[in-house]
Amino acid sequence: MTVLKRIILLGLVIGVILPMIPLFVWAFSGSWFYPSLLPQSLSLRSWSYVFHPGSRILEALFNSFFIAASVTILSLIVGVPAGKAIGMYRFKGKTIVEIILLSPALIPSMTVTMGMQVLFIRYGLSETLMGVILVHLIPTIPYMTVSMSAVFSHFDISFEEQARSLGAKSLSTFRHVTLPAVFPGMVVGAMFSFLISWGQYVLTLMVGGGRIVTLPLLLYSFAVSGDNSLVGALSLVFIIPSLVILVLSSRFLTGESSGMGGFGGV
Amino acid sequence: MNRNTAAWLLTAPALIPVLILFFGGFGLGILQSFSFFPLIGLDTPNFSAYTEVLAEDELLLSLVLTLLVSLSATFLTIALAVTAALALRSAERGRRGILFLFQFPITVPHVIIALGALLLLSQSGFAARLTAFFGIISDSTDFPVLVNDRLGLGIIYVYLWKQIPFIGIIALSVLQSMGNDYEELARSLGAKQSQVLFHVILPLMRPALLPGSVLCFAFTFGSYEVPFLLGRSYPSMLPVLVYRYFTNFNLVQRPLAMALAVLITLFLLVTVILYKKFLGGRNRL
Amino acid sequence: MAPGISILSEVKNINKKFEKYALKRAIVVIPLLLTVLSSLSALGRSDEILPFEERYQTMDWEDIVAEADGQTLYFYMWGGNESYNRWVSSWFAGRLMEKYNVHLQMVPVDGPGVYINKVLAEKQAGRNSGGSVDLMWINGENFRAMKKADLLFGPFADRLPNISYMDESKLEFDFGYPIEGYESPYGAAQSVFEYNSARVPDPPSDMGALLEWAKENPGRLTYPAPPDFTGSLFVRHVFYYVAGGYEDFMGPFDEEIYSRIAPKVWELLNEVEPYLWSEGKTYPSNLSRTQDLLANGEIWFSINYSPDGAADYISKGRFPESIRTYMFDTGMIGNLNFLAISFNSNAKAAAMVAANEVLSPEVQYHAASPEGMFWMSPLDMERLPETYRRKFESLPLAPSRLPAETLNRFSLPEPGADWLTRIERDWQAEVLRK
Repeated sequence: MTVLKRIILLGLVIGVILPMIPLFVWAFSGSWFYPSLLPQSLSLRSWSYVFHPGSRILEALFNSFFIAASVTILSLIVGVPAGKAIGMYRFKGKTIVEIILLSPALIPSMTVTMGMQVLFIRYGLSETLMGVILVHLIPTIPYMTVSMSAVFSHFDISFEEQARSLGAKSLSTFRHVTLPAVFPGMVVGAMFSFLISWGQYVLTLMVGGGRIVTLPLLLYSFAVSGDNSLVGALSLVFIIPSLVILVLSSRFLTGESSGMGGFGGV
Repeated sequence: MNRNTAAWLLTAPALIPVLILFFGGFGLGILQSFSFFPLIGLDTPNFSAYTEVLAEDELLLSLVLTLLVSLSATFLTIALAVTAALALRSAERGRRGILFLFQFPITVPHVIIALGALLLLSQSGFAARLTAFFGIISDSTDFPVLVNDRLGLGIIYVYLWKQIPFIGIIALSVLQSMGNDYEELARSLGAKQSQVLFHVILPLMRPALLPGSVLCFAFTFGSYEVPFLLGRSYPSMLPVLVYRYFTNFNLVQRPLAMALAVLITLFLLVTVILYKKFLGGRNRL
Repeated sequence: MAPGISILSEVKNINKKFEKYALKRAIVVIPLLLTVLSSLSALGRSDEILPFEERYQTMDWEDIVAEADGQTLYFYMWGGNESYNRWVSSWFAGRLMEKYNVHLQMVPVDGPGVYINKVLAEKQAGRNSGGSVDLMWINGENFRAMKKADLLFGPFADRLPNISYMDESKLEFDFGYPIEGYESPYGAAQSVFEYNSARVPDPPSDMGALLEWAKENPGRLTYPAPPDFTGSLFVRHVFYYVAGGYEDFMGPFDEEIYSRIAPKVWELLNEVEPYLWSEGKTYPSNLSRTQDLLANGEIWFSINYSPDGAADYISKGRFPESIRTYMFDTGMIGNLNFLAISFNSNAKAAAMVAANEVLSPEVQYHAASPEGMFWMSPLDMERLPETYRRKFESLPLAPSRLPAETLNRFSLPEPGADWLTRIERDWQAEVLRK
């Protein structure tokens, strides 16, 4: 059994790493033709492009980060109360609320993009940072509410009441009782929100056009260009910040009090 | 304030943007699929876009391929995710590292891993070079066609790569919250390893895994990025067909794109309802 | 097709329709709040002077330049070539800034479909000014689609002073569709075959010979699947080959000619299909995938619209040194690519200034030089000042690049856009699906 387990784990490690290897190597390669296992020449061409102001990549990095961070905060603001209502209360129309809040994850985005584009233009939100943030918020809502409703459904409301009966003010009840209990859900919901916004292409293109340049927009313009070296470099620029996010949230993804448990009860 | 009002007030901030923007956009999309768009003077709704889409001779093949890819991606995801979760549950050495690596794909957008898969799996890709290096193949054409192939293998690989960790982590947290009690009880009653797996662990995990897999199925069924990069020219998956209508230089094809997208959505909704009816059990949704 | 055609024709007069159908808007749940916001933002505008659209025809060029001063220009272009992006966003943008105080922002996208959809959606939403797209890199079918739907500003090309460096006959039609001043040239394209000279010392001299060669060398030839543009270029050459020339395809679409030629073309292509790369079971989805196959030695030929592409790629290490280019003795298709301005741009003066500047001999020369972006100039060398003609002639030629005389001598015109649409559609039915 342990041999089998080792094989499974080894397969897992290889399966995850393998497709990242060529991307990583290409980022620093000049020529790399078949059948050579190693590049024929190394080159920093793509990196000189990444740091070239005309490439707009650093600007996009900043934009993407600002947008994703704002989306995450907004998503917490709207998602935590919704998660609380769904996780803790039984109320009329609850099923409908749940279906509505989940639908952005179930209905293919291309069904709604065309219509949303017209709405955003009509209401003066297109080509604005606010519009991009708002449109990114939509697909994060299902993930945030699911994570939050899960932790709230395990949350015993009597704790809050006890704390209050012992004289704690609402703010300190929230800080010392509620927050620690639901924190793992918030971290997981926030991580998903950040990553969904960070990787968003179609919605950004539709609302932000070219005025708001984000990393996925630049990555996509190279996706079918066949410039493997640039694709590799851009992928690294893309992945490193999201790796940091994962490092920060990793321990909340698994473990007894995992915020991921919620997706089991979608 | 009664509980109903309180609950609705709490959910309102999340409901409002979804209702206005998402369902507003959805509504406009549906209107356009009926070639109905008063803003530009199209004020007689009709079914012509639907009849034309349904007459498309690629449609049936495309549906079959889409089902094949999304169903096999979903089922393989579940099987491999559960296997991985079981192995990870009791891994000792290097557990933290492996766990982190296991979570890593969640952070990588589909397009990047699709490009990575292209560089890995094409006939002159990294995998072909490895096999050539070890003398397994002598020419790049000896390497099996794994991307832009008939069965969508490259597409399935990318979806597995992205989804196994997602479902796996759910499975892992279920396994952890389940504890060892049931298994030990079963074993003390003389159950074999395989019996424990199939009669104790899996049934306990089932309700938790099905909803996540619906999300996976919906995603693989309805998104175009990965099949666009890794699919075959013909037949292509349904979302790629929509994309092709949508970006066609011939602006005439816009209502067709919306009609097909609406059909895909309908198909998905029916699937979810059927799932709820037959498999959903005690789950919400 | 009825619904779509009406889209094209009825995109007009949107604003009037807007008022008329204000009630129907209620169908789409739209909050009062947002409406108020958007009308507030509309209050800020005032139109004391006549809009540029009504003045530019009679303005002096200096006044147009003066009007462009301080405008920001969003230039949407295909962003898949790093050299192009660098040149536009730094050298060219820098020059516009310095000379005209015009701020050009390059917006790299993955295809013209992106900006066509954007401008179309803005028209549908009634946004008739302040559009997000100002200047676009465009030609052929996409130009036709946009012009037909009234999405373009114009005519403006005849107002550009530097248009005098162009051969007028090239300004009449773009893929057989009348330009009428709604786009101005940007670059030229002349298709060539890129081939691996280490494998094929003596490449076949016409399409018939190439297809025969493919049968003797299984797996070494392919072309991107139409409607990919380069893929359909390959198929267009097969049409010219079967018809014995380009002349048949110059007029409007002719069913009689088509039904005489097309079946033979499909027969030829189906005959060679099993000998293509991947046994013809699939085709690469685009040019760059095909070039990737060429770079890695999987295939030995790849057709390309850019005669300079191979030199560019070799300089970046993306192609091995052994890649060369050549043309059929029977000639190969060439065309021009253009710049167009959106109907709702707020920077039309700046867009015209940029479109004019890009046609200046100095700018074209820099673009063509190796420090630029390996660009093929659309300018008529005969009309250039002597000094510039010499400069162009003395540009160093990469070993993979054919001399300009060769490119010009063997250049064939494009078929009309109607032909193209039909060819691309039928290829799918007759070759891909069989």
